[in-house]
This record gives sequence, C-alpha cells and structure tokens, in this order.
Amino acid sequence: MKEIKTKIIERIKSHFQDAVERDYDYNRLDFSVKKETIPSILFYLKDEMNFKHLSHITCVDWLEEKEFEVVFILWSYTDRLQVYVRTRIDRDHPVLDNIDMIWRQANTYERELKEMYGINFTGLEAPEEFLLEDWEGPPPMRRDFDTREYAARTYYTRPGREDAQDVRETIIKRTGEELPDFAKKYKR
Amino acid sequence: MREKATTLYFGPQHPGITGNMMVRLKVEGDTIVKATAEVGYLHRAFEKLMEERNWLQSFTLLCRFCVPEPDPVEESYARAVEMLEGREVPERAKYIRVMVLELARIGAFLFWYGAQASSLGLHTVGQWSIGDRNYVLDLFEALTGARIYHMYIWPGGVRRDFPEGFEEQVIKTMDYLEKRLNDYDDLLFESAIFQKRAKGIGIINKEKAIEWGVVGPPLRGCGIRHDMRIDDPYEVYDKLDFIVPTGENGDIWSRAQVRRQEIRQSIRIVRQVIDKIPKGEYYNKIPNPQKWTLPKGDAYAHTEAARGEVGFFVASDGVSTHPRRAHERGAAYVHAITLLEDLLVGANIADVSEIMFSLGTCPPEVER
Amino acid sequence: MSFFDLKGTLKPLTALKQFGRKPHTLKDVPYVTREAADRYRGFHYNDLEQCIGCGNCATICQNQAIDMVPVEGIEGKKGDSGLRPRVDNGRCCWCGLCVDVCPTGSLSLTKDYLYVSEDPNSFLWMPGVDNPQGKERISFFSTEETSLNDFARIPMPELEGMERVKSFAEVVLGYNEEQARAEASRCISCGLCTEACPEHMHIPEYINAIARANDADAVRIIYDNNPLPEMCGKVCTRRCEDVCAIAHRGEPIAIRWLKRYATETVDNADLIKEIVNPEIKEPNGFKVGIVGAGPSGLTVAYYLALRGFDCTIYEAHAKAGGMTMYGIPKYRFPEESLDKQIEYIEKVGVKINFNTKVGKDISFREIYDTHDAVFVGVGFPKPWTLGVEGENLKGSIQAVNFLYEINNGKRVDLGDKVIVIGGGNVAIDAARVSRRLGADVTILYRRRVQDMPADWEEIEGAEEEGVHIVPQAIPVKFHGDEKGHVISVEYVMAEMVPDERGGRPKPVPIEGSNKTIEATAVLGAIGQQGDYSFLEEEFAEKIKIERGRFVVNEIQQTSDPKIFAGGDAANRTADAISAIADGYRAVKGIEAMLVKKDEGNVD
Repeated sequence: MKEIKTKIIERIKSHFQDAVERDYDYNRLDFSVKKETIPSILFYLKDEMNFKHLSHITCVDWLEEKEFEVVFILWSYTDRLQVYVRTRIDRDHPVLDNIDMIWRQANTYERELKEMYGINFTGLEAPEEFLLEDWEGPPPMRRDFDTREYAARTYYTRPGREDAQDVRETIIKRTGEELPDFAKKYKR
Repeated sequence: MREKATTLYFGPQHPGITGNMMVRLKVEGDTIVKATAEVGYLHRAFEKLMEERNWLQSFTLLCRFCVPEPDPVEESYARAVEMLEGREVPERAKYIRVMVLELARIGAFLFWYGAQASSLGLHTVGQWSIGDRNYVLDLFEALTGARIYHMYIWPGGVRRDFPEGFEEQVIKTMDYLEKRLNDYDDLLFESAIFQKRAKGIGIINKEKAIEWGVVGPPLRGCGIRHDMRIDDPYEVYDKLDFIVPTGENGDIWSRAQVRRQEIRQSIRIVRQVIDKIPKGEYYNKIPNPQKWTLPKGDAYAHTEAARGEVGFFVASDGVSTHPRRAHERGAAYVHAITLLEDLLVGANIADVSEIMFSLGTCPPEVER
Repeated sequence: MSFFDLKGTLKPLTALKQFGRKPHTLKDVPYVTREAADRYRGFHYNDLEQCIGCGNCATICQNQAIDMVPVEGIEGKKGDSGLRPRVDNGRCCWCGLCVDVCPTGSLSLTKDYLYVSEDPNSFLWMPGVDNPQGKERISFFSTEETSLNDFARIPMPELEGMERVKSFAEVVLGYNEEQARAEASRCISCGLCTEACPEHMHIPEYINAIARANDADAVRIIYDNNPLPEMCGKVCTRRCEDVCAIAHRGEPIAIRWLKRYATETVDNADLIKEIVNPEIKEPNGFKVGIVGAGPSGLTVAYYLALRGFDCTIYEAHAKAGGMTMYGIPKYRFPEESLDKQIEYIEKVGVKINFNTKVGKDISFREIYDTHDAVFVGVGFPKPWTLGVEGENLKGSIQAVNFLYEINNGKRVDLGDKVIVIGGGNVAIDAARVSRRLGADVTILYRRRVQDMPADWEEIEGAEEEGVHIVPQAIPVKFHGDEKGHVISVEYVMAEMVPDERGGRPKPVPIEGSNKTIEATAVLGAIGQQGDYSFLEEEFAEKIKIERGRFVVNEIQQTSDPKIFAGGDAANRTADAISAIADGYRAVKGIEAMLVKKDEGNVD
C-alpha cells in the first residue's frame, strides 16, 4: 500500500503543481488544490489513477476564515485507497465547476450544496429546489444561520414548562454569588 | 401515432413508495418517458442539528437517518470519530459491532422481502417477514434496550456488554431463521409471479454502474463483486469467513438473488462472531462528553449496509465540543435520485414501486 | 420460461402448511402488555434521595426534554440544588444518555413503556414522584463501569515520601498543562461546589476556561473574588471538593489543584497585573485602616483599593500573609509564591506598614481616629495550653510557635524523638516539619484517625513520610529530668463512647492503660485563641466579643459601626478561604456604609 501511495502522490504532484498533500497512516490520501484544478484533478484521478468511485462530496463552513472547504472523497476499488481532494473557495462568492459529467451522482450532491450553502456550480443543470420548499432565507447550512433563532420564530413552545430552573442560577440566587458577565463570555 | 404525454404524481403518500418521497412521471400510455424524483417531505436538518450538539449527543440522531437499518450509520459515525481522535476500540467491541451490523442486515433484508413482495401484491411474504424480523428486533431489545432506535454503537466501542444468556438467544434465532428462509424461497423466489415480474426489469447497465455511484446489492446484481467489508475491511471483517454473492443481469431478479444469498452469509457471520468473540473490555471510555473536543481535522468512514456503502464525514475545528460538520453519505442518496430517474425511463407504471424497492431507496436517508 | 410455469405456481402453495402454526403475536393482546427485555429503555425513574439535582441530565438531553424544577419536601442544601428533573415524555426519545451521565446513578429507565392519555399536559412527569412504582421496574441504569462520568482523578505528581523529608522542597509538584486540561475536562459544570465554598468562587467558569485552554481567562475569573488564589490553590481546605457531584461515585474534581495550575501559569506580579488588568477606580477620598495582613485583611485591602479607597494595613510581623506565611510550612506553600501575590496586591495601591504592632507601635485609637473605617483581621495567635502536669518543662513547645520560628528561618533543636499532640492541620504540619529536621515523630491524638480534623491528604502525606500516629491516646503527664527537660510523655488509651445526644463519639480514658513514650521534645497543637489586648479599654467595652470571637453582622460589622472584623477572630470555620470570604463581605459592607451613605447625603 505504501508504494502505491507514494507513486500516486508523485504522479499527482508532477501533474498538478498546486496539490498539497497530507500524510495519513491508513489507506487515505489527501490533496488540497486550488479550485480551478478541481475538474482536471478529478478527471485525472478517475481515468488515470483508477479512482472510479465517488463516495462523497461535502462542504465545511469555516466561517471565521470566510471560506468554504469543499471535499471530494473518491475510492479506488482496485488499489483499495481513499483519496480526499479538497479546495477552499471564497465564502462570499462561492463558485465551483460542475463535475456531474464525471460522475452522474455528483449532480445530487451539488444540488444539495447549492441549496444548503449557496455554492454555485457553473453549468449545473438541475431543478431549483431540492430538500427545501419555498425557502427564502439564507442557505441554512451556513454557520451564520441561527437554527435556534429560526426554530423559536417559526414554531411555538408548548406551555407548561415555564417553571424550569437553571441549576447554576438557582445556586447563585441562594448564595448571593456575584457572577459577572464572563459567565456568558466563557460559557459553561 | 404518438400518444399524448401525461404527468403522473407517484407519491408522496402511496403504499408502493419506500417512504415520504415522490416521483413525478411523464407517461405515454403505460410507458414512462421521464421521471423526476421529488424529495423534501421529511427534511429534519439532522446535520445542522448535529452542529448544535456535542459529539456524543449527536449520536442519538444517527439511528433516525435510516429507520429500517440504523446501525451502519451509527457505526460509520463512531468510526469516523475514532479515526479523527485516534481512539482505540477494544477487540470485543469490534466483534459486537460486527454482530449488530449483521443482525441489522438480516432485519433489513427481511424488511425488504416483505416490501419487495408487497410491491407485487404478494402480501403473505410481508406478513411473514415482518413477523420474523420481530425476532431479530427481540435480540436488539435484549442487547441494546430498544427495538428500532438502538443507539448502541458509539465512539469508543459499544454501550453495554452482552446480557446474560444472549449468545444462546442469538443462536436460537439464527437456527429458526435459517429454517425459515426455505419457506421464503418456496413462497417468493419460486413464485411464477415474482419471476415474471422481476426478470429483465430495471436493468442497471454494468458499464455505467460504478460511474453512477451504484453500491450494494444493485451493484453486485450487475456481477461486480464490490463490498466494503472485503475491499476495506473495518472492525473484524478480515477475520471472518464469508462470501459476497453476485448476480448476472443487473435486473430486479439479480438483486433479489444477491439479497437472498446474503442473508444466509449474514447468519454465518453472526455464528462466527458468537464462536470467536474474545472476552474483555467492550468500551474505551470517552472523556466527559460535555467537554470532549476532537483534534482539528476531518475523517470519513464507510460501512457496507444492506443498501450499500454508507459513510460518515465528520470535521472538527479542534476547539469546540461540537462537530464543525457532520455529513452522511447514504447509499439511497444516489440510488433514489439519479439512478432511479434513469431506470424508470421506459418502464411501466406498475414497475415503479418494484424498482424502487429493489434499489433499497430510503427517503429519510436522502433528506436527513 | 414457458407461459405457464407449473412449478412456480404450485410452490407458493406450500405456504398452506403454515395453517397449523401458532401465530407470532401474543394471545391476549391488547389486554396483556408484553413484558420488555431486562435492559429496556422505558420511562424514567429517579431515586429522589440519591439525586442531588446537579442538572447534568438536563444538560445532556439533546431534545431539551428535561427541566429542573423544585419539588415539595426537598430543600436545597450544600451539595444539593433542591431541584429535581422533570421529563417531557412528548419530547423524550429514550436514548438514555441522561442515565449514563448521572453522577450519582439516581436516574434510571424502567421496563414500563405504555401510557395513554387524552390530556396532552399529563405527559410531563417527575420521575420518582409521579411513578413511585418504577422503583421495582428499573431496567436501564448506569454503574461505575458503564457511566460516562470520568470518576478517576488525574494523579497529582508528588515527591516520593522519603525523598521529601530531606528538605523543605515543595511536595506537590503541580499539574502540567496536559494533566490540567484532562482534569478540568472531568467537570460537569453543575456548580454545586460554589455553594460549599465560603467565598462562592466561580468554580465551573474557571474550570471550563482551563478545559478550553484559556488559562488567562481562568486567572481573570479567579481574581474576580479571590486576591490570594495561588495560596488557595495550594493550601485551601477545599470544601468545594466535598460536595462535588462526581465524588458521589468517584474522586472529586481536583478544584484546588486546577486553581493552583491556573495561577501558577502566571510567573510574577507584573504579569498578574497585566493579565487580570484590574479596573482601579479614581480615589474616592475614604481611608480604611486594616489591622493584620492575613488573608482577610489583604482581601479587604485589595478590593477596597480597586474601588478607590485609600487602604493601609498595619502588620506586626516583617512579612504579610498572617498564618499562611508563618503557620504553613514552606513545603506546602513556598514563600516566593506568597511574595508574588503580596507584591501584586501592593501594586494596585495597598500600603502595608510592616513591623507595626498595633497597641505597641501605634495605638488602635489612632487608627480609629484617622480612618473612615477599620477592619480587624488579627486571627488567633495564642495557642491553647494542654493543662497537664509538666507542660512547662523545657522542650515542651507550642507547635504554632515552633512553626513561626522555622518559617522565620530560625533553627529549633528538637532532638531525635518528637511527640506531637493534636490532630489538626497544625499538628500534622508540626510533625512533618519535625521529620524534615531529622527527628522520629509520633502524633498522639485523643480520637480515631478518621476523626482527625486535618486534611486527609495531609495525614496520608505524614504517614508516607514516616510519621507514627497513635490514635485514642490522651496525654496525662510530661516527665522531666533533673535539669527540667522533658524526657517522656505519659498517656492513657481511650475508648470511643457514642454520644447520647447524637454528637460525635467521645474518648473516655481506660483506667490502667497508661503508657509512656520517650521524648526529646513535645509539640502541643490543640488549637489557638484570640488575643485582643491591643484594644483600648473603651473599645474592649464597646465591641462585643463572645467565646473569644468578635460578634459581627452579615456585613462583618461589629457593634461599633465603624469597625469591621473577619478571619479566625470572627468566624468559626478558621480557614483561609473563610477569612477571604469575610474580607469580601466586609468590602461590600464598608463600601455600602461609606460610599452609599455619602451619596445619600449629597441627594
């Protein structure tokens, strides 16, 4: 396994100068590339490196860094290796190339990412709505979408449980402890 | 003369559909010319909710991703978390996990027997198999404390050890099921109705199968022997002896044959687990769940469920006690949309639910 | 396949053989409910006696199905919030995480799973109150093995017992970063501990900051109401740990060591000031005089100084810290550690007049007249005497005096056989110091070892260092040689007689059980008392003193409104954290009296 991994890393790095590789001790390969490289590296992995199976496409919202990280996970049935291909895109203008001509099922994943994160895949042909219906708010899987606030606004709480107390606050009240603002700041 | 196309809404409330989803069919006479899968009837934002919960709390949502067979999701999440943290799992826990996964597979296949047969009007099979599945659920109840939502496989191992006398109970149930499977052969697989309705219907193109992301019995029904239990052996599958059956034609019949044989292999695996399971710890305890943080990074673990490859992707920011991202890869996610839309073209209206069941589509998993 | 498939038509008919079989279902459904498995996760049951209302079940519940509510008949007390969980069965998913995180093991799930009602409001259940019959039906419960609580404390690295006695090096080495994070992560943040702490420190908050690798935040939170946290982190009596929720089935969180860890990350006084970054108010013109630079006096001075008061401390000795400086041996609390904190307190503007004994170098009257308020934190400097024959022989020393000399850097010659009398922390300290001076040490204590008021860790430490403890031994006479030097101690064994009034058992001497033990020195450590000779007659008359202590109100005010008192001289618990708590209360009292009154006049 080690030799195959080394071989693949070498070939990828010689073909794609921007590929940054991370090493794992199990059957995992991991490359970070620029977003422009995505279709070509995926094509290459599939056609030349035998990564025929697309397992997953996912997106991680790094809100603090103002970036989305899109991760493609491929599987090689022949070499029994997993490869993660990841790229970072600007959170405010998230655009990525459509790859559903490489793997048909990518279409569904892209639809979901478009709806949930607002990522635009250039050339994606698919119905507008996927899981959501008549949704007008911001893409809900973005981390700045506040689920609790949305739930409180949209649904009502069944009455009858207003007498619930917080243990910490009960004790503060009883002892007269003066807990400054940092209780919230350094949340329990 | 070309007939005028009509739009037909198949679902979301329809006994022939696998759950709450809909297929919009464009039909000309009895023949489908275009199919569009419409989902969105049970989106519960589980993955968003998981970002609001800590790593352990999240695990209770997993069994709801796919109700007929929840354990592979639990297992893949647990293993992804373990990969991310580098946590060791005791050997005994691995055996128990394998057993739970295989029992879940048996349960799911029995469920599928009923569903597949009912889609053809053979309701006796459904009544039998749901009854027999209850014996498997009895095992789950004894082991995990719940029949459907087990919440049993969690990061670090499993939640509880075997209860007293559990091994005998398992063997007894396996003996019963093995005998019983012959009755199903007579009733379902030998049945002229099933044979005539299943052979040559819903054929998946062998060349396209991998490129389209087909996994599990639909892939093996095409004669391609790929199974994550063998390709990427997790837990202790590399220490167990079993074969992965394949079909030939990629039609409903081939998929049914794969499942028919696989359920026997699962029983074999369960018996081996009972024989081989070592004594010892069943759980490598995690730290206090309220303050448990995972190192920064991400991991993806995949498990072979009855419906195909189920995987879980988790990402941690290294600071928070909550997942930064938790994302399930469901087998049904691929099967129920792009593949189904393709297979339905050219099929008859009467074959829609039959094809759906044969693919193992699971709308709760599509929408999560 | 032919059009008519004979086999395929007939085979399914074999199903007819099933006609004779019994059905799967139970016979009397729905009249008889099916009995669930032995591990079934059904409705909750809570053992109300065992439950401490920590609320961990409500915290872990991802469905927000659990509320903590007061229950009739259960009063909150130290270590019990008085609240009990109530489950909304409409939201519960019976995952049982609440059971697995319950620190006491009081919460469990039962085999019962059927409840039908037309009233949707009747699904709010208080487990244990609404279903007392559940006690017999418990099926899913947590044991120490299955629980998700982390019951084992991260062991504190220490010097090895016989290595310690070679020097006065600090015995406890302190957690490193990794150990501190792991230990802090055990905390479930219930906050029950804050009630047991006399000073009500913000324990869950700072432990959480440590767990999240925010040591600076932890330091800020700690300094919010404790100006001597490093001292507390080393020698506090830590009542908080006694009520720790985790202690019910495991070892309590090492709250004291975590505080020590956080404060020790800050090396010097300047850094403390930089991190804590206290907001010091503009001087308000009020002057406060403080008698005694012990923990209570320093607390008053620090927080009043932050509030803009002009504070002056009058300290009889050459160094500040009171008993924590002169009473606690340096292997427990090194001098640099104390100096750092005193330096920081001085940096915020507190003036300390050292070597100024009130009553001798300055009169109390003068302090009283030149300040707007006076705080008296003089402690208990005078030891109790034993009252046995031969107590005044040479070589019979009071343990506090002995510790004072040692901590002052003097040498005390004890010989090689030291007898210590008493079972408190002073006795153990004196014994362990004597060991470090090279003597064989025996402690005589009138009650059993488990009755000793000293910290159990201290007792264990003493034993590890080779201190011999003779329990149930009452000294009756010290024997001396012709030069008047003590040579042996005669003591009588005692038996423990249960107290009829329900108090702790009393030691009663067994007649004729007298024994004698050789001694080159005897250290008496049976307690101390106050010394109020510095007060002029008019004050001594005016200020009410009962049983050797100042009588104070809830803001530490004595019967003279201008005089406040705290520390050992005003409370019964006699430890540093209580003294700090007294000081903190007095700060609020003095501020209320002076500033608020002043503002009132302006209006």
